[in-house]
Amino acid sequence: MPQPSSARLHEFRIVSNDKIAQDIFSLVIEAPQLAKTIKPGQFMNFEVPGNAMSLLRIPLSFARADADAGTVEIWYAVVGDGTERLSRMKPGDTSTVLGPGGKGWGVPAECSRALLVGGGIGVPPLVPLAAELARAGIPFDVCLGAKTASELVGESELDALGAQTLSVATDDGTEGHCGFVTDLAAELLQQGGYDYVATCGPGVMMQKVAEAALAAGAYCEASLERMMSCGFGACSTCNVETTEGMKGACMCGPVFDASKVVVW
Amino acid sequence: MAVDFGGIKMKNPINTAAGTFGQGWQFEPFIDVSELGAITTKGCAAEPWPGNPAPRMCEIPGGMMNSVGLQNPGVRGFAEESGEYLADLTAKGTQVICQVAGHSTEEYVRALELFCELCPWAAGFEINVSCPNIAAGGAACGSTPEGAAEVMRACRKVTDKPLVVKMAPVRVAEIARALEAEGADGLSVINSISGMAIDVHTRRSRLSKPTGGMSGPLCHHIAVRMVWEVANAVKIPVNGVGGVMTGEDAAEFILAGATCVSVGMANFADPTASVRILHELEAWAESQGVSDINELRGAVIC
Ligand SMILES: Cc1cc2nc3c(=O)[nH]c(=O)nc-3n(C[C@H](O)[C@H](O)[C@H](O)COP(=O)(O)OP(=O)(O)OC[C@H]3O[C@@H](n4cnc5c(N)ncnc54)[C@H](O)[C@@H]3O)c2cc1C
Ligand SMILES: Cc1cc2nc3c(=O)[nH]c(=O)nc-3n(C[C@H](O)[C@H](O)[C@H](O)COP(=O)(O)O)c2cc1C
Ligand code: FES
Repeated sequence: MPQPSSARLHEFRIVSNDKIAQDIFSLVIEAPQLAKTIKPGQFMNFEVPGNAMSLLRIPLSFARADADAGTVEIWYAVVGDGTERLSRMKPGDTSTVLGPGGKGWGVPAECSRALLVGGGIGVPPLVPLAAELARAGIPFDVCLGAKTASELVGESELDALGAQTLSVATDDGTEGHCGFVTDLAAELLQQGGYDYVATCGPGVMMQKVAEAALAAGAYCEASLERMMSCGFGACSTCNVETTEGMKGACMCGPVFDASKVVVW
Repeated sequence: MAVDFGGIKMKNPINTAAGTFGQGWQFEPFIDVSELGAITTKGCAAEPWPGNPAPRMCEIPGGMMNSVGLQNPGVRGFAEESGEYLADLTAKGTQVICQVAGHSTEEYVRALELFCELCPWAAGFEINVSCPNIAAGGAACGSTPEGAAEVMRACRKVTDKPLVVKMAPVRVAEIARALEAEGADGLSVINSISGMAIDVHTRRSRLSKPTGGMSGPLCHHIAVRMVWEVANAVKIPVNGVGGVMTGEDAAEFILAGATCVSVGMANFADPTASVRILHELEAWAESQGVSDINELRGAVIC
């Protein structure tokens, strides 16, 4: 039998659900088995109650997992009905989650220096990756981008994990460089010294980062988003066009070798 | 709970809808798939199809819309990847119905021939006549009685194994009669219903194609009506498909005249749905005071 998804059905209880930035919330759930097994870059699929007309789950990455406390922390942006309902859930509320799903980051064994580039609500999956790099003693730099300073997340957490440099770009110049985070990343990559780049954010941003990484000779991975119906390989709705054909984002991704991605 | 779906002997009436249950093994972490009466595998053509670009799915009130475009690895790839698992499942008493896709009568025949050769464990085959027919400018073969009959006639010559047809939700009674006349053993009613969803801010379709197929509770009562019409029009057994989320939804199909019932998009939100629905259906049959589910088939009072 081919290998099915690593996702399992878990019940969870909400520990906290607080606003951390403009329209962005941090959700901490208690789900001990999930907290123990989830790996950086993997995702979960949440059942969010409250609308009988909405049946599908919501896929979300995680920012932190604490195996000892049995908790997983998620950062999510309120963009529509499902995430709005999630933002109204309270500590003590319960529901179910499917996870951990998919293939996470694959830091090359020989990696000597890494660059992490996150845009908008693409930052969360980079946080557990930074923790993994820190544990492995691999130095890393971080570039973060957001539309505006009030929508920026992850700065203090990535700093605390030991980022050697952390630069910020905002579209409106309210914090850091006024412009795109891809400008900052391209500049760093030109200086050289990186053999691994990890990126998550809007498609165009990741595509630019991947091009700059390729030019600099660094292996680049990107975490892609797709509309998902099941999250465990049963529906074929989450396709990513790659140089090796159509691949499902929920099983072959969400993290892909960026050089193989054809449609971002 | 045992039923006979056109020669496919099922230990209970619960089946799965093509394209919503992977090839079965995807659900093993969540349920014991061998509890089900049958599973229907994702439509496969003779050669691999890449399917449509992203986005292939959007959520709509009461269901979802998809434009997967029948992405499949071809019968050969399918048999290589999942054959061993499906043969095993058959040995455990769950019937495997392999769905056949094609863009023309010749392609359906070629795919069915390959299935017969490479998947001897299959209990039967389901012909999906809703695939776009290239010769007919993209309209489905199954959208007219003549088109559906032509595919059925050609496929009937290939095998004596049970052949069921997955019907598009159009002109169901007359197309069902045409299929019965050409030797179909059973009918799956209905496939997803064509729909359209537009993002008014970007003015784009919410799918990569202008239209897609709607699934979920929003189609259930259309499907119940169509199952009832088909069951009244033909003698061959019917498999009810569309918006089954609970045992009671499944029971409704049986009362409308279905022999068995497929669980579709419910599998996505709750990967344990098929087995849960089976248990709920068993409880309902018991509550109706019958020892044989077949006594309830078509038992709607009207
Ligand atoms: C693997 C993966 C990991 C993700 N991780 C996070 C995360 O850590 N934090 C976070 O805030 N968001 C994350 N997302 C995106 C999140 O799933 C969507 O924002 C959410 O499903 C929107 O639901 P909604 O009902 O609120 O919005 P809807 O009303 O359904 O849609 C609102 C808008 O969001 C877009 N959208 C809907 N579903 C998705 C989706 N699956 N992917 C991308 N865009 C979508 C729609 O196109 C629309 O523009 C992730 C998505 C994937 C596939
Ligand atoms: C993602 C997806 C893929 C599907 N793929 C197929 C397919 O390959 N062949 C087919 O006949 N029907 C396919 N269908 C339709 C279902 O088999 C079923 O007829 C329809 O979804 C209605 O049932 P439901 O409301 O229980 O989902 C697909 C449906 C979905 C949601
Ligand atoms: S979301 Fe269903 S196959 Fe990926």
